[in-house]
Amino acid sequence: MTSVAKGMASAAVVLALVAPGAFAANTNAPQVKVSPTVAADLRSSDQAKIRSALDEVRLAGKASGAPFVAPIVDLLKKGVTPELAQAALDTLADVEAESASQTIADYTQHRNVRVRQAATKALVKTKGPAAIRALQRALSDPDAMVRGVAANGLGQLKAKAAVPDLFVALDHRINEAAVSIGMLCSAQECEQLSTRIGKIPFDVVSAGIEQALFRADVPDDTKIKLLGRIRELGTQEANKFLKEQLKKWPKNGSARVKQALDQAVQATGGGS
Amino acid sequence: MKLRSIAMVATLALVACGGGQTHPNLFATDWEDDGGKSISAVLAKMGPAMPEPGADVAVGVAGNSDKLVGVPLAGGSAWTFAHAIDVRPTIAGKIVVAEGGGELFALDALSGRKLWARQVGPMTMRGAGDDGKTTVVTLGAASGSVLLAIDREGNVARQVETDKSLGVPAILAGYAFVPWSNQYVSVLDLQSGEEAGRVLVRGKVSHAFTENRALFFGEQDLFRWDAKIRDASRNQATHIALPQRELPGTPSLMAPGDDKLGPVALALDKTRMYARATNGDPIAFDSNRFYGTYFRLAMAFDAQSTKLAWVYSNKVDLVGGTAGPGSFVLCDEEGKVVVLDAATGGVERELSLGGPIKSCVAQADALAPSPPQPPPPLAQQITDALTNRDSEMVSGQRLLLREIATLQDEPVTKTLIDLASNPLTAPILISDARVALAARRSGGKYMLDALAKHYDFLHDVLLTPPVGPIAQALAAMKDKSAAPLLAAHLLDPADTDDDVKQAAAALVDLGDATEVPALKQFVTLYRASADSEQVASAVVSAGQALLAYGGPEGRKIVDATLADPMTIEMVKTRLDAVRQQFDAQHPKK
Repeated sequence: MTSVAKGMASAAVVLALVAPGAFAANTNAPQVKVSPTVAADLRSSDQAKIRSALDEVRLAGKASGAPFVAPIVDLLKKGVTPELAQAALDTLADVEAESASQTIADYTQHRNVRVRQAATKALVKTKGPAAIRALQRALSDPDAMVRGVAANGLGQLKAKAAVPDLFVALDHRINEAAVSIGMLCSAQECEQLSTRIGKIPFDVVSAGIEQALFRADVPDDTKIKLLGRIRELGTQEANKFLKEQLKKWPKNGSARVKQALDQAVQATGGGS
Repeated sequence: MKLRSIAMVATLALVACGGGQTHPNLFATDWEDDGGKSISAVLAKMGPAMPEPGADVAVGVAGNSDKLVGVPLAGGSAWTFAHAIDVRPTIAGKIVVAEGGGELFALDALSGRKLWARQVGPMTMRGAGDDGKTTVVTLGAASGSVLLAIDREGNVARQVETDKSLGVPAILAGYAFVPWSNQYVSVLDLQSGEEAGRVLVRGKVSHAFTENRALFFGEQDLFRWDAKIRDASRNQATHIALPQRELPGTPSLMAPGDDKLGPVALALDKTRMYARATNGDPIAFDSNRFYGTYFRLAMAFDAQSTKLAWVYSNKVDLVGGTAGPGSFVLCDEEGKVVVLDAATGGVERELSLGGPIKSCVAQADALAPSPPQPPPPLAQQITDALTNRDSEMVSGQRLLLREIATLQDEPVTKTLIDLASNPLTAPILISDARVALAARRSGGKYMLDALAKHYDFLHDVLLTPPVGPIAQALAAMKDKSAAPLLAAHLLDPADTDDDVKQAAAALVDLGDATEVPALKQFVTLYRASADSEQVASAVVSAGQALLAYGGPEGRKIVDATLADPMTIEMVKTRLDAVRQQFDAQHPKK
């Protein structure tokens, strides 16, 4: 597998992990009734009962599961086996309880890498300042998966203050940082992202630039500069990317940017 | 006559060109120890004769082993002499003797001027001695040896052939001193061709050489030719041996005298010992030093205590050298010749052989000392040697690491931490550095600085500091300022299990209420999930610390941990014992 393909595969895995899973909460779904013993089971010392109760809360989703956030947090504060810790963290993620973020953050320092991965993923869902702080710290984790989830999560949590760290992460081959930078960058930072073209695989940088191109808060001049950098490449890869953006460009989108896209597609048409 | 003997005679016929004939009874093995009688007679005949000082020079084999290059150590022009070189040249007195392309030849050592040359066929030179008028050379073949005495015109004045394996000879006052069979030195009267005497040495002897205006025999130990040599067979000769000292590569002082040393230096040439015996009573080592090389390192040791005196680190491998009067001379493979002060290791002078060399021989017999550049302190010298990342150096570095560990200088602690924290350090050195760190009782500030660091992927800190050994050292030093830093490492997933174990153990003695939150978090995270004995031990230590200074809250955490069925059994058993002990020591009032 080429490095580009590897990068894509890594990003895809992280995105899949962050994306809602089989037990994902769905706020529009009908509420599932939770058995009356769930709270007591969560406070018990019976691992089977705890596990079953956590599954019930996950199935119940955000609204019905909310009352059980406190006992699950208590469970984590008391300390459990790695398997139960992962289940509890996954459940808190599905319930999207911001109040749990601080406790979850403690588990991003666990020695068990699967627990750390679960905690990092959960923080992306539970959000809040504690989550952002922990995700920023997780960019330096020894585990690549944790770093990737953290980089992705900081974009999802709109952690603009983390952009400088995300640049360092990108330069350390944490490819997920590119998309997050594209989601969060100021005009100057977006242009900074484009300077990575040629240094970092094109598909990684372009994924971030694509985010910036479609953001309403990024000035047209910046977008045109970004397109200019890609146009300068003149490769088939650049042409393909530009064509895709042109196809997706909204009808009510900036005419200047569309014109720049048109010209860039034409200019790179004969690229190798 | 056997075929091999015929071949040797044929060779000798080529060599011989007049001169005295061989004596059939030389090197006889039916010789009986005469109690020093014959040697006493030789001593009497020789009187107070002593060798002239040899030339101070370094000579390298260069090019494609097709030239010799030389440089006088005291100053003067470097010289080059083009000739095929098949064996390692020898510096004998004031000349260089070498052999190549079937020709034996001699040069003036200081100028490179050719003195004489003779065809010797396929026999190979083992070594030579020279007294300023006559050169004695031994040549070896697959079977037997030849000794030649050659005058300055290149004429063979004496030729001795034997089926014995002769070592490296010397010459003094008209006598050739020829070691053989690793135990004898036959003294040949070059005038008569007779064996005037024989020394039976109680030690391995394959070299005879002059140095420091005296004549010595030996290989590993050195025996001096003086009045006591008559009692050599009774182990009464003036004798000095290198002290027993652990050195990497188990180097030797001299290669066996009948070894063929090729023109290209091998690993054995780079891992050598050097020493220069004195000419006084009692016999001693010059400057109270002996030396060892290990590829790029040169080390000097106190000859009495065997303690490391200094270390010299070179950029490339050291391929040859010699111990001089108050100095140690070394050649490297790039042709640099450096003269080091025996006392301090400071550089006295640097010379050049003009380019890369294949091997080198050197002699410093009367070299006057010059003021050396002041070297850095020993700890820094060792640090410089330890930071060389060449994997070939690891054995030498392990020795130096043990040496540096004995120094209590504070910066040594930093060196050990740097070694243990650097991903480029060889794993075995990391392990050694950690052991040494745990035993240190100085350099606490460097330990605290190290503890402040954590694994940090974004900032390229990819190896954790040696937390465990530092924790052990700081606990022994009772440095309570380390507690918050150690507590932070409890929660660093990149630290090794053993580091966490040692950090928790140290916190029992060093921590206070400030560390309770970290200890509490640690117990919470791992009481039910410790997946190694070390982490489980760390949980027990954390519980012990909570009992010691966690107050009622700490006690509550420990009680809850023991009560919870999810707590792993090992933690429960050991923590319960800790709690019982604590209760026994702190009875309720």
